[in-house]
Parts: sequence; structure tokens; C-alpha cells
Amino acid sequence: MSDISESSVISALRRQMTISVAKQVAAAGNLANIDTPGYKAKEVTFADTLKGKLAPAVTNSTFPTKGGNAANTGIEIKEAAGPERRDGNTVQLDKELLTMGKASGDFAAAQTALAAKFRLVRYAINESK
Amino acid sequence: MSTLAGAIRASATALDAERTRIEVAVSNMANAESTRSTDGQPYRRRDVMLAAQPAQTFEAALGQTGAVGVRVAGIVQDQTAFRRRYEPSHPDADAEGYVSLPNVDAEQEMVDMLGATRAYQANLAAIGMIKEMVAKSLELGK
Repeated sequence: MSDISESSVISALRRQMTISVAKQVAAAGNLANIDTPGYKAKEVTFADTLKGKLAPAVTNSTFPTKGGNAANTGIEIKEAAGPERRDGNTVQLDKELLTMGKASGDFAAAQTALAAKFRLVRYAINESK
Repeated sequence: MSTLAGAIRASATALDAERTRIEVAVSNMANAESTRSTDGQPYRRRDVMLAAQPAQTFEAALGQTGAVGVRVAGIVQDQTAFRRRYEPSHPDADAEGYVSLPNVDAEQEMVDMLGATRAYQANLAAIGMIKEMVAKSLELGK
């Protein structure tokens, strides 16, 4: 049985927003250090832990969702593989801007869906007024 | 835990660092012909050293990863040799009639300035995108 404020959907959306923020933060840090000698670009990965964390949350709405908070999103920050410049820096301007644009878009998408979800709940609370 | 405020702070430190680079490049250009500085020697070209540093000091103190900012680790003098020009009438000419001129190379400074400008623009664009995300998340409360 699924109710209107289905928490699995909300927590999945929240997770997507958290991941987008983490990506944005990593890319902003990389951009800030675009001229720092020896700096290695960082990137956010969560694919390794994705399977275990995401599957119970979205496929089965009756399954108790425990992994809803940000600490359990399995976000890992790793050094990105890529060519090194002569000063040992591995930041690529276009790649970082692309990551930021994509994260921004993903965040907006999740926010839109979450807002729609909240609107439904509010609609029910206000007795369809 | 990384936050959007931390990301903005990281970008802001970069704006600061890139502005310093432009300032230093401009003063190098301005002093391309300065044969006397405060120490009596011709002006020496300055170079900015950048180093990464955590922008979220609270998170860093807790041992967590936050946004990584940048700081100006120091402004160092370029120790390459001065340029020399034959100009016996110059008041700073040596016994052989040569004047020592600053080791400033206009092309190098221009390239440095261009690089700093582009990096500045990129970080401004980054702040714009983060701001969009913050505004979008505030819309949830509407």
C-alpha cells in the first residue's frame, strides 16, 4: 500500500539532492584550485555502494527505509583519473563546469519532484481547498 | 558533510587568489622599467604561489571532507637574471655603460593575466550555479 507522503520516494529524492550538492562542492573545490601546482582533481563516486543503498528504497514501498539520511548515501570522494599538467595539476576546466551544470540540473529536477510531492501532501492537509 | 555554503566559500577564496595574481602581474608590468626599488636594486619580478586549503574549517577540524579552497601561500621574487641594456647616459648605468633592468617579460605577464582572468570567470560561473541551487532549494518551502 502506498500513501501520499511515501517516504521512500522522498528519501530517494533527498539522496539525489545530497549527491548533487556533494558533486557541486567537489567541482567548486577543483575549480578553485585550477592553478594550484600539484593539486589532484577530486570526484564524487557512489556507484559502489549504490546497489545496496538505493534498491530497497525505491523498488518496494513497504520496505522500511532506513538509509534516508545523508550519512548513508555512500558518497565517496576520490581522486579523479586524468592527464596531469606540467605542474602536476589534474583539473580540467570544461569537465568541472560540465559537472557543475549537470549537478545543478539534477538538483533542480529532484527539487521539482519533491516540491510536487509536498504540494500533494499540502493539498490533502488543506482538505482539497 | 559538505554544504553549498562551503562550496561558495571555496569559490570565493579562488576569486581572492586570482585577483592577487592579476594584481601581481599588473605591478610586474608597471615596473618593467623600474631600475631602482626600495633596496636600491632593479625591481624583481614577483610570482604568486598558490596552495590548496580546506574552505570548511569546522569540517576539517572534525576530520571530514568539505570543500577545498585555495590560498595565496606567498609572493616570491623571481631570481632570474636582470635584463641588461647598453645606455651609458642612464644614471643607473654601471662602469661599462650597461643598465640592469627588471627581469619582467611582458608576454609572460600577459599570459599570466589571461589565465588568471579565465580562472576568475570560471569561479564566478561556479558561484552563479551554486546560487541557483540554493535559490531552488529555498523554493521547497513555498
